Amino acid sequence: MREDRMMNEKKQSAVKRILGTRGMGAVITAFAGLIIIYVAFGLIDRKVFAGQNVMNLLRSMSKYLLIGVGQSYLLITGNIDLSIGSMVGMSAMISATLMAMGVNPFVAMAVAMICCLVTGVVNGMLVGKFKLPPFIATLGTMFVTRGVAYMVNNNRNTDAIATGIGKEAGDRFQNFFYYGKTLGVYNTFWIALVIFLIFFFLLSKTRTGRHIYAIGSNVDAAKLSGVNVVNTTIKAYLVSAVCACVVGYILCAQAGMGNMEAGNMYEMYGVAAGVIGGISPLGGTGLLLGTFAGAAVWQTLENGLNMIGAQVGIQRLVIGIIVVFSVLLDVVVRSGNFGKKASK
Amino acid sequence: MKVQNSCRGSKQKAGEKMGEVIVSMKDIVKTFPGVKALDHVNFELRSGEVMALLGENGAGKSTLMKILSGVYTKDSGTMTIFGTEYENLTPKQAQAVGVAIIHQELNMCRNLSVAENMFLGREKVNGIVLNDREMEAEAAKILGDLKIDIDPRQTVGDLPVSKQQMVEIAKALSIHAKILIMDEPTSSLTAKEIDELFRIIRQLKADGCGIVYISHRLEELKAIVDRVTIMRDGQYITDGNFKDMTMDQIIANMVGREIKEQFPRVSCPKGKKVFEVRNLNAGHLVRDINFSLYEGEIVGFAGLMGAGRTETTRAIFGVDPKTGGEIFLDGKEVKISCPMDAIKAGIVLAPEDRKKDGLCTKLSIRHNLALPNLDLICSKLGVISRKQEDDLCEKAVKDLLIKTPTVEVNAGNLSGGNQQKVVVGKWLARNSRVVIFDEPTRGIDVGAKVEIYNLMNQLKKQGIAVMFVSSEMPEVLGIADRVIVMCDGRITGEVMAKETTQNEVLKFATEFEQKKAVG
Repeated sequence: MREDRMMNEKKQSAVKRILGTRGMGAVITAFAGLIIIYVAFGLIDRKVFAGQNVMNLLRSMSKYLLIGVGQSYLLITGNIDLSIGSMVGMSAMISATLMAMGVNPFVAMAVAMICCLVTGVVNGMLVGKFKLPPFIATLGTMFVTRGVAYMVNNNRNTDAIATGIGKEAGDRFQNFFYYGKTLGVYNTFWIALVIFLIFFFLLSKTRTGRHIYAIGSNVDAAKLSGVNVVNTTIKAYLVSAVCACVVGYILCAQAGMGNMEAGNMYEMYGVAAGVIGGISPLGGTGLLLGTFAGAAVWQTLENGLNMIGAQVGIQRLVIGIIVVFSVLLDVVVRSGNFGKKASK
Repeated sequence: MKVQNSCRGSKQKAGEKMGEVIVSMKDIVKTFPGVKALDHVNFELRSGEVMALLGENGAGKSTLMKILSGVYTKDSGTMTIFGTEYENLTPKQAQAVGVAIIHQELNMCRNLSVAENMFLGREKVNGIVLNDREMEAEAAKILGDLKIDIDPRQTVGDLPVSKQQMVEIAKALSIHAKILIMDEPTSSLTAKEIDELFRIIRQLKADGCGIVYISHRLEELKAIVDRVTIMRDGQYITDGNFKDMTMDQIIANMVGREIKEQFPRVSCPKGKKVFEVRNLNAGHLVRDINFSLYEGEIVGFAGLMGAGRTETTRAIFGVDPKTGGEIFLDGKEVKISCPMDAIKAGIVLAPEDRKKDGLCTKLSIRHNLALPNLDLICSKLGVISRKQEDDLCEKAVKDLLIKTPTVEVNAGNLSGGNQQKVVVGKWLARNSRVVIFDEPTRGIDVGAKVEIYNLMNQLKKQGIAVMFVSSEMPEVLGIADRVIVMCDGRITGEVMAKETTQNEVLKFATEFEQKKAVG
């Protein structure tokens, strides 16, 4: 009889199952907020609804989406990665420098990726194996990787990549990552979407993903259940390294050269995208869909405030308030739950 | 390691035959630095039985079970599980052999679902994709077999504690555990939930599991226990069928020794009432507390761990919020809603956990002693007077005989006894009326203990009311004049120290509310 019931449930409850996923409430709230913000700006200035603006919006949110995905992995494990922004700079500088020297773009990108992955492993080892506070460990790698970004081209921004690999190859690289469109949408968004889907799958459908939630929720219980905490932590830091590296390619393609300050502060944008989407900085909860909504909220705000002519100062101020408000909501909800538990 | 037969084979046999010995621990010795935690302890568990492991706090019950479940390693002795002798186990190996422990503090990932917790670390997968439906179906089957009504998809953190405990039991069964260790499983359950737990325990028993049951609630043993093993001070005392023993015999075996007069007591005339608590309520562990303290008297608070004594001191001192009750000092009501109120009124607390609540271990003795007295040694502008601070420290070191080269030493580097003196010293500069000591002698050596007793006596002679919380019965009976016994958040008895016995106090201390599940 139970099996009958299971079968029935299987048929009727696919939608229910998705809606009932833990953390879905925060995601829905974030998407609702996104729609309200978008429509509100649209009503003030109709240009917000224009097709070209939507395309621009999708392209510029891609960077935040990728960085947010990487940071969300760490937030869910209860850690943080402050080195993401510097890794973006390192990736952009290494690939741009090599390309400006005439190295094949694929090789240049591979070298940048290897450097980022090494940083990710180092972060994971420091935090997972040597139990350094993640804030300190990644603060260190943040300075180190930024230092590498500076040193790659002798403390100067690079020349245009086209000077090394030629105009044709340079254009191809820039179009692939930034200026080109596929099916009417900028490639940047497609790239971000594919990476998002891969890591979404990894987090929600695989053993590694389950372990990431487990160590963020209760690391001792996870260890006693046979979860390899060190490996899982390293994997999470590798995800953020991959995301940072790809954002580095995108920034390199956008500028057509390497900028030593590329990706400055991005680690914090990643935290913001995550927490706006309901990823708890305390670990254990949150969905990557929320990060998607968070990155979109962020970009819509920036875009909308820009369109209606607000100054940069106002933009920062509004975004700051939104971030604090999102986390405040999380803390209040959590402490409310704890209160209930205690009184029982 | 002698391997006689495969563990899996013997495990199945154990399921079929009842009453077969499945765990045999002989001459187990375990030493921690400075303490012999287990001294040649014997322990035996048979399939299909509930074995109660009894003893006072610190008797070594938990240590023994941690060796069985692979958390600790033994120094010597033999441990045989399902006919195979094991030198030492890791927690994972112990699980594989079939030993599962259900901790007093539940160990679950609160953010994950029931099924996710049950299969954590051994998830079922199709290729690389998690097979949630299969795990949920299997979890539902295990829960269903135990007749536990929990949705496997529910988040564990949203379940009440009793249900979380059921999930831990189900998790243990899902790894085919045949030996279940339950440490105080009923401590946070209601009567109805205890009924439910006992039903499950009986079912596990019928399935041939061996269950080790650790509990301080002697009354509830009647409902489920088959045999008992009694330990005291790290030693095996006796075992036997529960039915063949009287409750008095069990208590006598648990307590054991006569009390020797190793406690300096000073007698002084009982003066006027200093302090009174009326109908104090604060959460589950402080319920309707009424008592008074008089000049020239030390009042001991006895009880088992978790009886609510520490919680009572915290509620009085204003650390935890009160839900009701009045506090009177010298006949006048005082309102205490935070520790500052209590300190200003003249009520001070030397808390239970020195390192966590009592001291800033990374600060010097000087800074620790000055911390609660900054209002006394600061000028109006808030600048600390070095001279007054020096005087205060000098006086405290001299009065309390704190053994240290200078007061600049970090408090954390002192010995336990000297740390405790600093904790007390913090309060001596203020003219306090009530001093509350919570477990002041825990973990300090005999000589230092006597110094702490002398200090309490000195306060008593000065007419300060002393409230003395301790789990060590000999010192409560030896130092206090009057003893108040608590159990389960209530005061269950009040006796004069000179006229009572340990057995009487222990009876009060185990006087749990009559719950339906008992008997």
